[in-house]
Amino acid sequence: MSGPWSGRPPLSRRAVLRGAAAGLPVALALPTLEAMLPRRARAEELRLGPIFGVYFWANGLPWHGGHGSAQAVGADRWTPPTTGAGFTPSELLAPLAAHRVSPVTGLEPKTEIPASPDGQGDGHMRGFMVSLTGDRPRSEGFDHPSHTLTALRPSLDQVIAKDPRFYADFPSPYRSLELGVSAARFHDYGHWNAISYNGPDSLNPATMDPARLYDRIFGVSTGDAEAGRRALLLDAVLDDAADLRARLSGADRQRLEAHMESLYEVQRRLDLGDIACGDPGSPSSSSDLRTQARTMSTLLARGLACNITRVFSYMLTSPATTHIFSEVGAVQDMHTVCHAGDWDAVYRITALQMACFADLLDLLDQELDPTGASLLDRALIYGCSEYGEGWQHDVKEMPVVLAGGADGGLVRGVHVREPGGNLARVHLTVLNALGLETSSFGFNGGETAELLPGLLA
Amino acid sequence: MSRRAPPRSRARALGLLLGLVGCDPAFDGDARAPKAAHPPVAPAEDAAALDFAPAAFARLTTRQYRALLLELFGDTAPPHLQEDTYPYLFASVGASTEPLSESGVQLLEEAAAAVTAEVFADPARREALVGCAPTSADDPCVAAFLTDVGRRAYRRPLTATELARWTGVVRQLGAADPWTGLRSALSGILQSPYVVYRVELGEPHPTDPGLRVLTDWELATRLSLLLWDAPPDGALLDAAAAGRLSTPDGLAAEVDRLLADERAREATEAFFEQLLDLGRFDRATPDPATYPAFTPTLRAAMRAEVLLLVDDLVWRRDVDVRALFSEPRAFVNAELAAHYGVDAPGASAVAFVPVELPADGPRAGLLGLGAFLTMNAHAVDTSPTLRGKYVLERILCAEVPPPPGDVDLDLAAGGEEAATLRERLEQHREDPACAGCHALMDPPGFLFEHFDAVGAWRDTEGGQPIDDSGELLGVPLHGAAELGRLLAGHPGVGPCVVRQLFRHAHGRLDVEADEVALEQLAAGFAEDGHRFRPLLARVATHPSFRVIAVPAAEESP
Repeated sequence: MSGPWSGRPPLSRRAVLRGAAAGLPVALALPTLEAMLPRRARAEELRLGPIFGVYFWANGLPWHGGHGSAQAVGADRWTPPTTGAGFTPSELLAPLAAHRVSPVTGLEPKTEIPASPDGQGDGHMRGFMVSLTGDRPRSEGFDHPSHTLTALRPSLDQVIAKDPRFYADFPSPYRSLELGVSAARFHDYGHWNAISYNGPDSLNPATMDPARLYDRIFGVSTGDAEAGRRALLLDAVLDDAADLRARLSGADRQRLEAHMESLYEVQRRLDLGDIACGDPGSPSSSSDLRTQARTMSTLLARGLACNITRVFSYMLTSPATTHIFSEVGAVQDMHTVCHAGDWDAVYRITALQMACFADLLDLLDQELDPTGASLLDRALIYGCSEYGEGWQHDVKEMPVVLAGGADGGLVRGVHVREPGGNLARVHLTVLNALGLETSSFGFNGGETAELLPGLLA
Repeated sequence: MSRRAPPRSRARALGLLLGLVGCDPAFDGDARAPKAAHPPVAPAEDAAALDFAPAAFARLTTRQYRALLLELFGDTAPPHLQEDTYPYLFASVGASTEPLSESGVQLLEEAAAAVTAEVFADPARREALVGCAPTSADDPCVAAFLTDVGRRAYRRPLTATELARWTGVVRQLGAADPWTGLRSALSGILQSPYVVYRVELGEPHPTDPGLRVLTDWELATRLSLLLWDAPPDGALLDAAAAGRLSTPDGLAAEVDRLLADERAREATEAFFEQLLDLGRFDRATPDPATYPAFTPTLRAAMRAEVLLLVDDLVWRRDVDVRALFSEPRAFVNAELAAHYGVDAPGASAVAFVPVELPADGPRAGLLGLGAFLTMNAHAVDTSPTLRGKYVLERILCAEVPPPPGDVDLDLAAGGEEAATLRERLEQHREDPACAGCHALMDPPGFLFEHFDAVGAWRDTEGGQPIDDSGELLGVPLHGAAELGRLLAGHPGVGPCVVRQLFRHAHGRLDVEADEVALEQLAAGFAEDGHRFRPLLARVATHPSFRVIAVPAAEESP
């Protein structure tokens, strides 16, 4: 859970005004509230700040020497042969290289593996949990036979979105957006179909349908009388909730509090003034992965350009996806392809996923925000996957790509190689590059205070 | 969080198997005796031994929330809502463990706004709903409507505070137009946590401070969610209001009434869809090049025939539900008949007809049907392992651990001379890390080898004749039909159905405190000849459905 219930969020305009009416001390920074400023003035007078995104692909990497010698394979087609600035891109990273991404290679999770219940060392579950949260899966309720697992804490996107320093006094309409492309899933439950978590058992499911994402970004009803009524009636809903809250305890109460926090966010959005966003037109769906990904990326880029949010998570394919990459000639689902050790197919699958990633970066590079900066300049996108390779679920050589300039916070175009290094160094570096000064990150044996070298601008 | 059942507490029904197989993580043979005994409120077979667990704090599933909208407004444009999830097979378990996300809460808000806007846009429709044309917020008809609609949505009478709260919304937002105020209040009611969640606080137990007893209102919601997968209707709420659910006769009468309704039939179908894991069948992806016959229409027919079979056993004939595994009657349309190679006079693309399969034929019951055979196969190859795992896990409630993370599952690399999947699997099982569990899963799975990855009959595999001998937990068998006949009388099947229905009904995994209740229900199920409909009534009238434990002391801010 996200911590003790803290009542109304600081930026509910009505709450502030109501507090003032009731004679309570309220912050009088009202005139600078972004939500209350005309858009144009905001664009000119304010720096909008960095954007953070997680870009997740299933499947890790094709097996290479760094994963051991159990599989006879050819060359490493992921790790660039040289390090530092101006490194020579590998085959798989080539499509991203034009955007001066910074790959980080050699990292692995360092979290402890509790002895009981069994199976918590499965690289699959441990790998994607540590990639996303910096912590191991929760032991309580962990059930390897049915693949039931949950996170112990929020994923990095939510840590950032809810860090009071990140949005400070200028919240975007959405604290975060979650989107995805392939609807194939390993299981119909748990953390197999979402990569954004608020805490144990609490997922932020990805919007997978372009029409629904379009509605979320461009169809938000705000500013008119009807929206005002809808916002106002939520006060009564929240009063009902407060009555119920008083009658609950423990975990039940926490669940209701999380629901109430969401209601405040919905209310805040309804209360915002005009958030008109250049409407790219209603999208259509495609069964082709890359086409569908481009559609979703286009909507996302447009939404980011008008500051609909500054945090996103993008699940191209879900952990252990059963997506059949027929696009590149695979007959079996991805999970089976990996276990079959068909590394040529895995290479083609990974290359396709990198092409989709590059498409997103292209779009972010083309999209200029109202201050004239490209979205990619402002963004820090953490590209990651679930393990190093999918045959043994080995967590050595976890793939990491940092893309974008983090609004000046990140050095671009550097290959950092840290064999055996702690994966949580990525999270720590990301937080600091975004200006969220943090001295250490990682949990349960995975703690680190070491930044990745040479990446902070 | 303490309510989550420890995983090892499951599958104790098969604890006996422990000594038999070398696959120990699945079978916890610990037959713990129940702890403290609590007197139940309603009569029970063995009241003294019963124990109770805390209620799960669940929201309505998406299906149930849609049913609420239907109950209140009739047909409306279906709103988008957060999808249900199915941990441990059941949406009700997902609804008590995975909270609504912020986007889920937003979807609810948008749904409430859209549905009320639709209903109120039509003057005749809104007047039919409200029952009058309010002239102001203080028109008595406003309070009358809110009282009525509030009771149906909250599934209990509104308190005076709540009525004042919603009347206040009408007044505040309906100053210019009372209809707008009413619509807004209704939109708010649809979002109240009392409406969105199953609030089960109960009232003090007459003798035991560690227990609570659900109120008649709370029980009414439980009953209708179990038996209808929908909220209570007016008659059930009236029964709750009159206190009839607190008398054994009154409760039995309501349960009978609910079970006689068409909605009970639909709810049963929904339960079996989840129990049999048909969601996984919907996502099965046979290779189209290898299996061109597996068309979208064939997939839909395979799904439909499973539900027709269940419906026939449970509702049309009300017989031993374990016949699901041995029933010689199948329901096929023309495409399925061709797929199975059976004559089905009268069948067409849309007409399913019952056909009697030959008694000595290879197919009987669920395990000879396309849905089971396809969902437990790979894109090209069959999977004796997955088929055997399904039999053990889904039908007998045993658990089989997944393979260790570091094993080579690449059966294709099994060697030149190994032509059949059986031979390759047998080579594979020479690895001691795999042998224990595969010795459990594969032998029942081999019984299905005459059926390819989409359930069509085959005589050979890789040019070799098929060997469809195998075993279930040490009992040697030959062919799928023989396994089906064994399961139709197997003592493990009844308790497994009971355990799964209990999880579905309570929206949580069973815990140790539930063991006696489960045993009582299983014994009753056997007494009833394993008929499913009476089992629903037993679950709904059992003390475990009415009495809950006070949650263990949890920190409360």
